[in-house]
Amino acid sequence: MERVGGSAEESGDVAETEGSGAGASGTEGDIPGNWILQHHKYRELMALDVGDTAQVYAAFLVYLDLLEERRWQEVTSRGSAELQLVYLEGRESESQPRQLIVPLPGQRSLSHQGVRSLLSQPGSDGAPSPSLLLAAVAPDSTLAYYRFSRGFVVPEPPDSIQALECGRERRKRRRL
Amino acid sequence: MELETEADGKLEAEVQTETIMEMEREVKTQTEGESVERDPESDTRTGEVKRERETEPVLVCVSGSTPLLWRSADLRLVRERMGIVGTLVGSLARQPRQNCRLGRPLQLQLEEARLLKDTGRAVLVKGAESECDDDRVNVEVEESYTKHLQHSYEEQGRLALEEKKRVLQRVMTERFRDEALTDQPIRERLSSLKSSFSFPRSAMMVQLCTARARLGYAPVERDWLAADWTLPRDNKQEVRYRVYQDLRQQGYYITSAGKFGGDYLIYPGDPLRFHAHFIAVCVPIKSESPISDFLCLARLGANVKKTILLCSPSETESEGVIYTSIQWSGMV
Repeated sequence: MERVGGSAEESGDVAETEGSGAGASGTEGDIPGNWILQHHKYRELMALDVGDTAQVYAAFLVYLDLLEERRWQEVTSRGSAELQLVYLEGRESESQPRQLIVPLPGQRSLSHQGVRSLLSQPGSDGAPSPSLLLAAVAPDSTLAYYRFSRGFVVPEPPDSIQALECGRERRKRRRL
Repeated sequence: MELETEADGKLEAEVQTETIMEMEREVKTQTEGESVERDPESDTRTGEVKRERETEPVLVCVSGSTPLLWRSADLRLVRERMGIVGTLVGSLARQPRQNCRLGRPLQLQLEEARLLKDTGRAVLVKGAESECDDDRVNVEVEESYTKHLQHSYEEQGRLALEEKKRVLQRVMTERFRDEALTDQPIRERLSSLKSSFSFPRSAMMVQLCTARARLGYAPVERDWLAADWTLPRDNKQEVRYRVYQDLRQQGYYITSAGKFGGDYLIYPGDPLRFHAHFIAVCVPIKSESPISDFLCLARLGANVKKTILLCSPSETESEGVIYTSIQWSGMV
């Protein structure tokens, strides 16, 4: 989990203090303290003019995490006027299908109806996706990803059964 | 690991309670108080009786506010025909001081009792309350029961001794009929049997009466006994009941999920055969919860290898109940 420091509500304050700190030390090079605010992607997300600052900031952190940390491909952003938020779409690797990622600040409240309306958002191909990744951003910028899907999704079998099946497969292979 | 042993333990418990139920059924046909007499010579009659029992409503005894099922045939019926599992909550007579394996009565969830009632498969009857709180009377009852148990123990011991003698004699006559071998060791055993034999207390069979001989359970009496007991009908109960009804209709087996922090545990088939797949959490569709609550649920599900199922009855009748699965993403 990448920690980028500072909460969205205090972004203005952070900029001021960090800016003064960087100016004083002079050893950081030319990286300004308020680099997030000046990042082109952040500005792009703000320009979509949906969602409050907290949600846009959350979206930006998730964007950075997906690209820099997890090396996802083709990560794009989109704004939804009806839901008033910014969401992302991306691919885990070339072989994986595109997924919907909804970044939300952790303190927000959500209803089941809200989850369903998120799920009904159309993907890049126009059809709503069967599942989405909710990226919950905590005030300390910790990220947690959870998957919401329509309907019944059967879980993985317990470890003991998986071990049994593995054993069976190995024995079959040996016989062949 | 924990899940496996849980399932195994339950399987053993069920087998044991099955055996107990079978045994008790043999012993207790007289006390069941059936209004139709059993004629062992006529198979059609027994068949008729069986069919009658299957169609007539079961008796759910409400003790306080807890719905209970007492008769073994009823337990079997509701489980096999209606997929209602319940929880066994009674002490076993021969293994009282443990709660790993329990026997009858079967405690039903409010939703299970309500479904039985609404579909006409059960009649709710107020359970018999203890009539007298007088300690003196209770002591008398206790003493007479202890005496009865002692008498039964002695009689069973006697019967067991006779049975053992018969077995040894049979072994003697069969095995040593044609051979020249001496049957001396068995003779010695036989002669010392009376002194050396001991009938352990734990092997004693204890009869538990769960029905009254005199009460006929005829429809008229049943209706007269039926309770005006109404289930609490607040919003939360309504949501739970609608979800329960819908899941049952889809063929899932449902038990209580107290241990897992949800409302129900959902099985694809009988809980004796399968692990649970889902933990159902019933919420009204518009009620809001902090995202951290969803994260708690998803983490819990990930730890026990079950999917969290968010269930909400839709506000439009046509849509039924809406289900959303929550899983841990697997992204570390």
